[in-house]
Amino acid sequence: MISSGLALLQGMEGMQGMGGSMEMNMGRDLPMLAPEIAVLLTAVGAIVFEMLRLPRVGLPFTVIGLLVATGLSVPLVGTETTVFMDTFRVDTLSVWAKLILIPATVLSVLLAYPEVRDTYREGTVYSLFSLTSLGALVLAGAGDVMFIVLGVLLSSLGSFALVAYPRDDRSTEAAMKYLVFGSVTSAVMIFLITFWFGATGSTLLSDLGRLEGMPLAAAAGLVAVLVGLGYKAAIAPFHFWAPDAYDGAPVSVAAFLSVVPKVGAIFGLAQVVRDLPPGAAGWPLIVAALAALSMTYGNLAALVQENVVRLLAYSSIAQSGYFLLGVVAVGQGGLALQSLIVFAAAYAAMNLGAFAVVLQVGRNLGKFTGLGRAAPAAGAAMVVFLISLVGIPPLGGFVGKLLLFGAAIEAGFLWLAVVGILNSVLSLAVYLRIVVPMYRMPKEAPASSRLLVATWAVALVLTVAIGVGAQVLLGRLA
Amino acid sequence: MFPVVSVTLFLPLLGAALLVALRGAPARTSHAIGISVSGLTLLGAVWMWARGAPGGGFSQVEEVAWIPSLGAAYRVGVDGISLPLVLMTAVLFFASFVFSSHVGERARSYVALFLLMETACLGVFVSLDTILFYVFFEVTLVGMYFIIAGWGYEQRQRAALTFFIYTLLGSLPLLLAILGLYLGSDPNTFDMRAYIDSPPLTGLAATLALVAMLVTFFVKTPVFPVHTWLPLAHTEAPTAGSVILAGVLLKLGTYGLIRFALQMTPDAFRDLAVVVAVFGVFSALYGAFVALGQTDLKRLVAYTSVNHMGYVVLGVAVAAATSDASTRALALDGATLQMVAHGFVTGALFLLVGMLQDRAHTREMGAFGGLLRIVPGLSWALVLAAFASLGLPGLAHFPAEFQIFLGTLDVYPLAVIVVLGLAVTAGLYLRAIGVALLGKPNEEWSGLKDLSPREVLSVGPLLFLTVLLGVAPFLALDVIHATTEALLP
Repeated sequence: MISSGLALLQGMEGMQGMGGSMEMNMGRDLPMLAPEIAVLLTAVGAIVFEMLRLPRVGLPFTVIGLLVATGLSVPLVGTETTVFMDTFRVDTLSVWAKLILIPATVLSVLLAYPEVRDTYREGTVYSLFSLTSLGALVLAGAGDVMFIVLGVLLSSLGSFALVAYPRDDRSTEAAMKYLVFGSVTSAVMIFLITFWFGATGSTLLSDLGRLEGMPLAAAAGLVAVLVGLGYKAAIAPFHFWAPDAYDGAPVSVAAFLSVVPKVGAIFGLAQVVRDLPPGAAGWPLIVAALAALSMTYGNLAALVQENVVRLLAYSSIAQSGYFLLGVVAVGQGGLALQSLIVFAAAYAAMNLGAFAVVLQVGRNLGKFTGLGRAAPAAGAAMVVFLISLVGIPPLGGFVGKLLLFGAAIEAGFLWLAVVGILNSVLSLAVYLRIVVPMYRMPKEAPASSRLLVATWAVALVLTVAIGVGAQVLLGRLA
Repeated sequence: MFPVVSVTLFLPLLGAALLVALRGAPARTSHAIGISVSGLTLLGAVWMWARGAPGGGFSQVEEVAWIPSLGAAYRVGVDGISLPLVLMTAVLFFASFVFSSHVGERARSYVALFLLMETACLGVFVSLDTILFYVFFEVTLVGMYFIIAGWGYEQRQRAALTFFIYTLLGSLPLLLAILGLYLGSDPNTFDMRAYIDSPPLTGLAATLALVAMLVTFFVKTPVFPVHTWLPLAHTEAPTAGSVILAGVLLKLGTYGLIRFALQMTPDAFRDLAVVVAVFGVFSALYGAFVALGQTDLKRLVAYTSVNHMGYVVLGVAVAAATSDASTRALALDGATLQMVAHGFVTGALFLLVGMLQDRAHTREMGAFGGLLRIVPGLSWALVLAAFASLGLPGLAHFPAEFQIFLGTLDVYPLAVIVVLGLAVTAGLYLRAIGVALLGKPNEEWSGLKDLSPREVLSVGPLLFLTVLLGVAPFLALDVIHATTEALLP
């Protein structure tokens, strides 16, 4: 995968030799990509330490490497540019994707640690987390359809392996379903996206404006992107793999899949629609319909789950629908990008937090009975994560949803915002199914692990901080 | 300046957090915390009352910016309409805590939930921001659900669920209306004062928003035909739960009717006022006649609440319909005073019926007889509260209902048939007094004990305030009137 990425880069370098109008300057471009390079080196390093039989170094190295990558992203805030001849963007979306997704990967790695420690594949798992998140970052900064394809493949291949790593029947079956579904959707995507190349003569997203007046070609490519990214982001009706894969995979992997590749794909979709001619092939309406379907289907299906991981899987399908409210509005006002970024930050914190508590308590809904009495802190944290997912002030989820609804209305999709609000109320019923039994008589006290507690404590602080301090975040985005 | 409103508002929540932290606290400690925290909150409310609401507009405003670019902020404050309700809420919660201090079953959770409810109820009355209002409005719902489901009588699960689903679905339209107001305001804000100063919606949008608000607040009030959750919830709720439900939660509906429907969509309300008035009149008469058919004392009191709240709805409709400022102030004075009076009187009635039930384990009025000779203290208190409830002059309901009827006569002369409700309630209370309190003492109850100090302390203040409001209504009316006469152009 990495080699194919490098080959692509080399190929583009060759194109420049042929006299492209854009100057390509490695000395300028590479520092812009420092965070991505740091993530890549972290992935490589984790494998190297594994091979050197130094498994204990794996976790600290990965965590520090990813934190360094986050640190390298901070100076990029406010940058609006492209690198590698317009093919990769270093802009608000892509920089904030790094600031959100790399720390989210750190939390996921910490969640995985109790599950993989002292196994012979510990370093491999960490490496896969880093590589998959690199795929998500590639999607979030894509300026070229080739990067979309590359991002989907990179994050998919890593995810398949992550789901399968326990090598038991459940995870193998889950990974198989995921692989088959992923291969088919990727093939459809690659096939249809060639229409855009055929119609515009360019793979650059910034040239998509040439699709003006070519509705069929525009529609074919749109279907390609929606299928490919819709699958990555688990948007209904391309979500079928998600509940099975999440449930078969270790909880930490489910947590990771529900956040990092999903947000990457959503941001990638936003990068694509930004450059489409206004209303080409009716994309706003199509995306709005997918949003309504995802929200409604996800919440309704979540309502009947008995397994908390499956419940959260369906809830994450619904949350993808909320994300699409921001995508619908891209290009139609200032709120769209702000809302996507704020909601992504809040969603990463609250969803990872909820999964961390699930990891501590257990997958079965019955295990949550009495949690609020047996372990009041974990119970309270779970309540905060869930009501933030509903969107109750003053938590992060509320601010994110408020911005999303505002963005949709600004773009003229009032009905979609109303559907979103009705769905928020429906989702209250979904999450109350976890909350209500938590305050009955406890059956057993959950196992406690300091690392897990620390992880959800961090997520808890972030969930509250993003809500209360929303103005600070918005100020950086304006 | 010391933030009295915020401190008063969040004091109960702090108490609840303290109880949650004190795992394994015995019942005595829990109740001591409950009584002292709600006592402090009452002091805070009295302090707020002492500072008053000069000028008629919102005063004692406390504001903290949250997301200025979205117009969302923490904003609290009071005016002459909310201030008496805040004081009434604090008094009722204090009385409830004193009365409940004998509850032994899971006392820590019980007290914590009631404290949470106190913050939520006060929050609804002092919120000046629609998001804040909506959150507090919903929290009251969750708190009441757990109180009924956890400490109610036989069919408590069903009653709690009916209550929850009914009012949750009922409050959805309000959310849509809030969204509409937000989008209509320019610049976009959630500040209720901005909506009140210049109503953001006009035409069809305003009518739709008004209808949405009416649905929400009618369910909460409740108004016929969406009142069906009320008798079930009341009969199954524990006594203190009923006191809060009838005394405070029903007012959230009528308060919303004034604060939102009347103040934020005044023109649309003027057009629809006659419909609202018909709902109010019908509800009042329906409540009275159904109450007449009850033999269960608690259900009887519950249905008289439908009757009394019907008068409030009528008063608000009259205020919306008229263009004459003095009539409007008259009707609104009456409606606001009626809310406060109903809080004290019905609170006392539910406490007294609860005391009877604690002793006799039945609420059937036919099972009693001659109680006046067996438990004179309790019986006379019941007589006083019943007389207040039927609107006897000199007691709290009289000045309120009198003003509402006077305003109605000006605007909708036909609606005065609602006075019939007074006659019916008088009849039903006299019948209840006759059956249960007078006559030959029933041997079965000869061992009943009269009021204990705990019971005197809880119901005494409510009866005292009932008499005080009846004799000197101007104590509350001066504050209310300053706002109602300045309300609307």
